[in-house]
Amino acid sequence: MRAALVIAGRILRQRLRDRSAIIFAILTPLGLAIAFSSIIPDFTGSFHTTIAVVDNDRGEVSGILVNDVLGGLTGPDGILDVTSLPDAATARQAVVDGDAGAAIVVPAGFTPSVQTGSSAELTILAGGGTISGEVARAIVNDFANAIGTVQLMVATVDVSGGAADAGTVAAAQQAAQAASPVTVQDLTAERRQAGIATFYGASMAIMFVFFATQYGALALLAERQEGTLSRLLAAPIPAGSILLGGALAALALGFISMIVLEGATTAVAGADWGPPLPVLLLIVSAVIAAAGISLFLAGFARTAEDAGSINAIVALVLSAIGGVYIPLSQAPEALARVALITPHAWFLRAIDTLSGPGAGLADIVPSILVLLGMGAVTGGIGLARARRVLVAR
Amino acid sequence: MVVQAPPVLACSGLAKRFGARQAVDGVGFTIAHGETYGLLGPNGAGKTTTISMVCGILARDGGEVLIDGSPLDPGTTSVKAAIGYVPQDLAIYPDLSARENLAFFGRLYGLRGHELRERVDEVLGVIDLVDRAKERTANFSGGMKRRLNIGIGLLNRPRLLILDEPTVGVDPQSRNAILDSVAALSAQGMGILYTTHYMEEAERLCDRVGIIDEGHIIAEGTRRELVALVGGVDKVSLAASGDVATAAGVLRTVDGVREATPHEGGIDILVTEARKHLPALLQAASRDGVVVKSVEVVEPDLEAVFLHLTGKALRD
Repeated sequence: MRAALVIAGRILRQRLRDRSAIIFAILTPLGLAIAFSSIIPDFTGSFHTTIAVVDNDRGEVSGILVNDVLGGLTGPDGILDVTSLPDAATARQAVVDGDAGAAIVVPAGFTPSVQTGSSAELTILAGGGTISGEVARAIVNDFANAIGTVQLMVATVDVSGGAADAGTVAAAQQAAQAASPVTVQDLTAERRQAGIATFYGASMAIMFVFFATQYGALALLAERQEGTLSRLLAAPIPAGSILLGGALAALALGFISMIVLEGATTAVAGADWGPPLPVLLLIVSAVIAAAGISLFLAGFARTAEDAGSINAIVALVLSAIGGVYIPLSQAPEALARVALITPHAWFLRAIDTLSGPGAGLADIVPSILVLLGMGAVTGGIGLARARRVLVAR
Repeated sequence: MVVQAPPVLACSGLAKRFGARQAVDGVGFTIAHGETYGLLGPNGAGKTTTISMVCGILARDGGEVLIDGSPLDPGTTSVKAAIGYVPQDLAIYPDLSARENLAFFGRLYGLRGHELRERVDEVLGVIDLVDRAKERTANFSGGMKRRLNIGIGLLNRPRLLILDEPTVGVDPQSRNAILDSVAALSAQGMGILYTTHYMEEAERLCDRVGIIDEGHIIAEGTRRELVALVGGVDKVSLAASGDVATAAGVLRTVDGVREATPHEGGIDILVTEARKHLPALLQAASRDGVVVKSVEVVEPDLEAVFLHLTGKALRD
């Protein structure tokens, strides 16, 4: 172990003296994180909009839509405010002026139409493709689907001669209550998204940690090319300590890179990675995963240059898949699932989780275990390959 | 009863195959304390492969290595502490200073603290790099790098120093300094294994020489013993231009000629009673447009021995 530490110390001294390591492992990701979080609008914050309602019906069913369905999404933890407007023209102008994200127009006679099973039409006023418009459409569609069920029930009640009005109102209320939790849950999950400074700080850190770990992981190849490997093998130390020294250097460089980025983005860009202990353990796990993958790639390369190029390509591809550039919460579901093959996605998911209120270590244990597993498997294979090369000499 | 100390190195039956090529086959020799043993052979003869097995860098297919009587087996580390190794290629870190290079390798040999600093200072003095100790070795001249390369091999005060062609690519001044240093170390009682393809280095430094060719040691002994193998043969070196290969073929038919080897710039001839046959040699060599510029008759040397044993020149 002592020999491994001596070797790791020498690699660290060389790499920290080498400005390219500092540039790639610290300065570049820090600069990009600060630049991105300054330039790009904050798409990661909590969604909130104002929905205008023109209630020309003022009946019991429209009251359920306004008070129960829309009203259930207001408040301190809600995603919208509801404002009542007198007519469709005023609502249209409010949307055009940006005073409301979207408007819902309930026609006169809506409640009687629903109660008698006749067709009724709800109108949504919104800009094309806006998130507010999509949210309003989703709410109204859910409600309209519920109304469809209610109409069937009413029709059934009508045939049996039951009290249609009371049944319609109760069923609509039940439908509204059933629909709300589903919608609210989705939006609550979206709120578990780290702020933009945190997101880009963490994403640049996980992307560039691969460049930091490669300096240690490629050490064996570099020793072979520089001719120093024969001298190390002639020394009275176990051959394994040469590999261990490189692995320790990879871990140390990765850890230094991520810790510096965590501290710097917090101090300079206002990032908040989360509670210190869980963040520390998460960083260690991410560094182990990155070092493992770098060692794995080095184990199959012929030269340090080859390994460095492959490592860079893999780091960039995994970053793209893993949600480094755009949060996975904004990505299609299929991509979000594919992203879980990358350490980046697990790391950023844990950072998102830690940004939620009251989140702690227990909430990110799955991410930590996956990252450690990735590191152990890939690093184990990489070290085994490298050892075979040493022993076979 | 007198108990004889084991040799600092005893190796036997060393074998190594790379794919279809048998690089070393059954090589063995011993080196006593204070003895300098030269492994002399042309490039590709198996010198580096042999010493790589001797110092445990290369796994051997067969054979045995004993350092001061202790076996050097795969996985053993303590025995290696008795060996100082100077590889043929420079094995130093260019972005570290001379002192940092020495300190790093010193730590790998278990030196630390005051002992490490003291030993690094001593070695810097031996290799005459005290004034440049803090400078990155990337800025060093070739000779300085070579000296540092050797200095690292001395850090652990080895009982056996292995030098693999340490003067390749070195200017004459540095080369002389290196040879003087090796002679001084030997005088201090260090066993030295010295590989070279320079005959004059082997003659100057080595107490005994093993001549290696195509993975086999084909002769071994002191210089005198090896030269005796040639018998009453002299070596005639002709500096000549033209078709020396054809001329060498003609020379082989001349009475008394044992071997004639063409090379760039002339022909080396092994011949009995050189002075008696010299006119016939010149006449034979001067055919077919070959111009003889000078003639040198020399006492048999290791080059002549190698020529005699293998039919080819060391420089091949």
